[in-house]
Amino acid sequence: MSEIMISLRDIKKVYKSMGDEVEAIKAVTLDIEKGESVSVMGQSGSGKSTLLSIIGALNPPTSGIIEIDGIDIYKLSQEKRADFRREYLGFVFQQFQLIPYLTALENAMLPLTTTKRSSKEKREMAVESLNRVGLADKMKRLPNQLSGGEQERVAIARAIVNAPPLILADEPTGSLDTKTGDEIMELFQQLNQEGLTILMVTHNPENTRYMGRTIMMKDGRLSMEQDDLVQVVSNKRQ
Amino acid sequence: MNLFQIALNNLRRRKVKMIFLMLGLVVGVSTVVGFLNIIQAMHLELGDRIDEFGANAIILPRSEGMEMHYSSTVVSDLTFDVEKLTIEDIPKIYDSSVQEYINIVSPKLVGAVDAGNQKALIVGVEGRQEFIQKPWFSLQQQANLEPGESVGDLALLDIPEDGIVVGSSAATTLGVAVGEQLIINNRPFQVFGILNQLGSEEDGLIYANLEVVQDLLNRPQELSMIEISAYCNACPIEEIAMGLEDALPNSRVIPMRQAALFREETIEQFSVFGYALSGMVLLIAALVVLTTMLSSVNERTREIGIFRAIGFRRSDILKIIFMEAGMISILGGLVGFFSGSFAAMYAGPYLAQLQGAIPMQFQLLLPAILLSTGLTMLVSVYPAMKAAQLDPAEALRFI
Repeated sequence: MSEIMISLRDIKKVYKSMGDEVEAIKAVTLDIEKGESVSVMGQSGSGKSTLLSIIGALNPPTSGIIEIDGIDIYKLSQEKRADFRREYLGFVFQQFQLIPYLTALENAMLPLTTTKRSSKEKREMAVESLNRVGLADKMKRLPNQLSGGEQERVAIARAIVNAPPLILADEPTGSLDTKTGDEIMELFQQLNQEGLTILMVTHNPENTRYMGRTIMMKDGRLSMEQDDLVQVVSNKRQ
Repeated sequence: MNLFQIALNNLRRRKVKMIFLMLGLVVGVSTVVGFLNIIQAMHLELGDRIDEFGANAIILPRSEGMEMHYSSTVVSDLTFDVEKLTIEDIPKIYDSSVQEYINIVSPKLVGAVDAGNQKALIVGVEGRQEFIQKPWFSLQQQANLEPGESVGDLALLDIPEDGIVVGSSAATTLGVAVGEQLIINNRPFQVFGILNQLGSEEDGLIYANLEVVQDLLNRPQELSMIEISAYCNACPIEEIAMGLEDALPNSRVIPMRQAALFREETIEQFSVFGYALSGMVLLIAALVVLTTMLSSVNERTREIGIFRAIGFRRSDILKIIFMEAGMISILGGLVGFFSGSFAAMYAGPYLAQLQGAIPMQFQLLLPAILLSTGLTMLVSVYPAMKAAQLDPAEALRFI
């Protein structure tokens, strides 16, 4: 019997702006199982990044319940939620979001900074993580000394360094050319095959072929799932 | 890797901004250190100078009788002295329990004489002691000058045995000029010099050598009073007076508090000015630090969002900001201490018109660092809180 990694129940998110209310997420209910890889597609403003931030324990919903691995994350205190993000989630942000004054190794090590592991252990874990993304030879380089694809790999290494069960990726190939983007998607596919649950927001239909399931979002609602996407994605994952 | 390394790396990356921030601190700390150095040096030097310039105490014969005034001080009328001060009392002063404080001992004999056709007051002094103690005395005219020579104040130190120095108003009253002869108690004296106007009782006096005046007044060995200058900065003048009275039981000692009060007032005024100016500079420095820190936090919004998103607690963000502030402030305190000390060392003598050097006061190093750190930490609270409370979702533009 499969276990649920992400459980969303009737999630709503309303933003107030200049006295008006904007409903960014409208009653979304969704389950994602452990080990799944899911892409969320939709146009700009469809609410997919907001949904990702809610699942990422960064943005409390206006209503509804979110459980990740059985934990109701918004019942946790701010500090416990920070700990939760560190232990359970690996973020891959849009445009890499590396810290410019830290080397590839230090960037990869960043989520371990506030843990109680020894310096040696932290370093070994970061080296291992960079090895997994194929960047062992460029550990001492600063982000501006790396190509876009390499920076994305460092961002992925940072996301997986402390072996979180869930990876959240926001447009991970948005700043990359097609070839590099495909390489990065293959890397995500490989990580998923190793057991990680991956939830990816993208507006590139090509990326969906690397993911097990695709969810469409429109105007803050889930509009259709993978089975309905034959016309959207021509080249399904083998 | 730890939070300290993140803070250190950030400082390295933002060198210009951090140097600017540190300069704000350096200016503030160096102003305070500079002023403290100068004020301290003023305490030392002004104290020394006043000690050199004037008497701290006046020794008078113990007496019961008529009184007359000399230089704001009441002296005994000589006719009714019960006790007498003599030249033999001088060594007792140097042997007293307060001998280590004694700098200048200036004995004098005051008496009324017939000068020309008038009565006048004459003061017998030991020229060197008297005029070193009172360097504000200067000559407006001097006898026996060679062509090309000008009046020399040091000439006062060597009044000839048969010479007199006349106060400005006494010269007018007696109608004498330099080089002229003046008959005093039937004995001729040459007017060696005429003093510049002082605006005090001294303008009406005639000065001559002590032994000559003792002989002139027929009071050998006798003294009217002894003026004492003490070596001290914050003179325990009451203690000195008691020590002198013990050594000279035939005398009474009047401590002169005016000099000490004047010194305290002058330094107090400069200190108030210094502290006020330092306070203003520190306030400006604090504003510079505050605005620079705030701007740094604003620039790092996204970075802080990343930290928060990947699991940094708010307290971790606070630690990073305070570590950065701490490192800059310690460095700022160090540089501020040395720049303030050097500024005081080189500019202080001109600013405060000090003659001596202003030494570096290493005891101010720790307070300087503490001042810099305390100030920076205080004004960093708001930027740090702002950074820690950044909404990571907003910082990463998820919203």
